[in-house]
Amino acid sequence: MYHLDWSSFFDVGGHLLLEGALVTLELSALSLVLALILGFLFGALRWSSIGLLKPICWLYVEFLRNTPPLVQILFWYFSATVILPTSVILVLREYGFQFVAATFALGLYHSSFIAEIVRGGLNAIPRGQYEAAQAIGFSLPQTLRYILLPQLLRIIAPTLTSEAVSLVKNTSMALAIGVTEITYQARYIDYSAFRGVEALLVVTAFYLVLCLAIAGLGHGLQRWLSRNRRTAV
Amino acid sequence: MNWEAVFTANNVRRLLIGDYPGDLGGVALTLTLSLIAMVFATLLGLLVGYARFAGARPLRWAAAGYVELLRNIPLLVLIFWAYFAPPYFGYTPTKFSSVLVALILFNAAYIAEVVRSGLLSVSTGQTEAARALGMSPLQQALYVMLPIATYNTIPAMTGRYITLLKGTSLAFLIGLSEVTEIGRQINNRLLTAPVEIYATLLMIYFCLNRSLSAGMRLFEDRRRFNRIFCFFAR
Repeated sequence: MYHLDWSSFFDVGGHLLLEGALVTLELSALSLVLALILGFLFGALRWSSIGLLKPICWLYVEFLRNTPPLVQILFWYFSATVILPTSVILVLREYGFQFVAATFALGLYHSSFIAEIVRGGLNAIPRGQYEAAQAIGFSLPQTLRYILLPQLLRIIAPTLTSEAVSLVKNTSMALAIGVTEITYQARYIDYSAFRGVEALLVVTAFYLVLCLAIAGLGHGLQRWLSRNRRTAV
Repeated sequence: MNWEAVFTANNVRRLLIGDYPGDLGGVALTLTLSLIAMVFATLLGLLVGYARFAGARPLRWAAAGYVELLRNIPLLVLIFWAYFAPPYFGYTPTKFSSVLVALILFNAAYIAEVVRSGLLSVSTGQTEAARALGMSPLQQALYVMLPIATYNTIPAMTGRYITLLKGTSLAFLIGLSEVTEIGRQINNRLLTAPVEIYATLLMIYFCLNRSLSAGMRLFEDRRRFNRIFCFFAR
């Protein structure tokens, strides 16, 4: 039977896992911001169904949703040196090229899911709401701020939360291109110090706590957004 | 662009079937892995989902615990558990079986939730009618709940199967030679055509997943669904 040895494990691996955890958090936060920006943009564009943009938005969403995030990370990482000019590559090197590539790839991948969530949310708001806003003389910004956004956020908050959880889990794939996030550190501890089981236990607990915390936060957000809820929607 | 270097006869063959008749790999292995995982994840998901829906209280808690645990850790960590942890306990699993076990356990947790929502979507009028006709609980489950719940969950199941197929690409991180690993090997040998190779991989996965969702959409025709279901229920 295998004996867990925590004292020697934390001598070697403690600070490595801590560093990895910070990288995971940073990667998650940055790609979530990117995914939200692009997702809301493409979701709104798809919903508005402007003739020329329609096929582009369709291709964007369908292609990103139907291919593995891992292959997308590899694609952007290995293609960047070919696609981008050398001067840009040199600047990106300063910030850790792998990290930038992983952030970009994960942000793009999850933006396609968020775009579909946003489109579904916009479709769920009844037409009468806009007509009513027009009837009482709301300007466009007012309609967006007081009619559309509060309802949209309330509708999409639960699915958006599970998308954020899925994003955090997918950051583990960044180890494929050598981003030193927490799963990478666990592998490193396994083959350098042979304390793989302890490392995996810590990593599993870390993801579990982080994901459950995000789910709890999302639930709180949902409650807060519904605080003035009076209508059926 | 250097497509000629990528699409040599040998590369295409390796991308499709790997080193078969040696080791099966490439798209063929990706599909094998996906299909086996789909079948067993669905079966396990049905069990767990039904247990969470209608089981006795301890069973319901166990099912809920399973779902919450597996849904909140990355698939990659699960694959690492399945492949790198057993040797510490004196057992060396094959790469294929490790990935398969991880895929099944991970996706079953999600499918259980789909199944549960499907069961919740069966209106009480239907089950009451079945009871009024004097059906036994087993008959109710098999002939009333199962077909309605299955039909209602087709779109969600399509989504899960696509995620499962995408998840097989993680197998390359422990060196299983499915299509992503073959692509990586070709890239390592050529070094001059990364865009072409990874774009090819993306196209392959895109075609596989679109075919999968097109195939699943066939079942969304209610009459066709009924015909197929009756065929299997006989």
